[in-house]
Amino acid sequence: MPFHKLFKSNFHFLKMKIVFTPDWFLNNDILINVVSFLVLATFFILALKSYNLSKKKSILYLGIGFLLIAIGELSTILTKIVLYYDTTVTREIGQAVITYQIVRTVDIFYYIGFFFNRLFTLFGLYLIYKTPTRKELSGEFLLILYLLFITALLSQAFFYVYHLTALLLLVMIIRHYYKGYKKEKLSNMMILVAAFSLLALSQVLFFFSKIGYFYVFAQSMQLISYAILFALVIKILKNGKKA
Amino acid sequence: MHDILKIVQERGGEIKKTHLMYKANLSHNQMKTYLIELMKNGLLEDRLNNERHRIAITKKGRNFSMRYAQVKEFEKTFGL
Repeated sequence: MPFHKLFKSNFHFLKMKIVFTPDWFLNNDILINVVSFLVLATFFILALKSYNLSKKKSILYLGIGFLLIAIGELSTILTKIVLYYDTTVTREIGQAVITYQIVRTVDIFYYIGFFFNRLFTLFGLYLIYKTPTRKELSGEFLLILYLLFITALLSQAFFYVYHLTALLLLVMIIRHYYKGYKKEKLSNMMILVAAFSLLALSQVLFFFSKIGYFYVFAQSMQLISYAILFALVIKILKNGKKA
Repeated sequence: MHDILKIVQERGGEIKKTHLMYKANLSHNQMKTYLIELMKNGLLEDRLNNERHRIAITKKGRNFSMRYAQVKEFEKTFGL
């Protein structure tokens, strides 16, 4: 096999190792990430507006939680765009040494991109879980941040560690809001429970990303979850107008 | 303060001072303090209709009331 073809196949292999997207789904998963980013950013803006009016720190922390997950999504979008559309790297292969360096540089970029996605998402989920239960963030916050950093780092080698941690955080969030719903009987809280439950289910499906269409199912589940969250935003704004 | 704005809005945007006092369940002094604050911020205004003074909600007041209700709904949703 000619050397450049060997590199091409190696590069393709690298892609396969980083994301498990089937070829026909390549653009769709970026679109799902864009939708997720927009919904999360909307929640952040809403939380920021609420904070400006009420000056409650808990609202600000909740907003930062959504913002961090949004940044995580943005990090994935940028990484995937480079990963899916960076054809110059494979086309310009001719000089073996230069190509090898390019491939290695791009490889590091992907890992950094996905690392920040995982770190920000886990940290954001933790803030969303923690904010309603505690009004102030305690000293153990740094310890949690460190543990989430280790988890995100470990997830580079074992991708399921990230999904397992995200699942645990989501289960705790669901538990909190389900308890709230049982107490207050607020339909909005039930919508939150439904959206976070689907997000948790998507994390379970991500465990099996390597198998067939599981990655597609997981991404689709994530899209439905964010669509529900968007419907919740519209409901909140409409109810506000009515009141 | 939002309760006062809400009462004025529910009454079609205008209300007599005495009616507002009873509806909001406030003493004369309390209401005076709140009204000064709300008028200072341009949320309510004193309107003269047929030589009768009435408290009216402004456009800014309506917007504020709507935003406040949205914030409250947001806070309730997240149990904050």
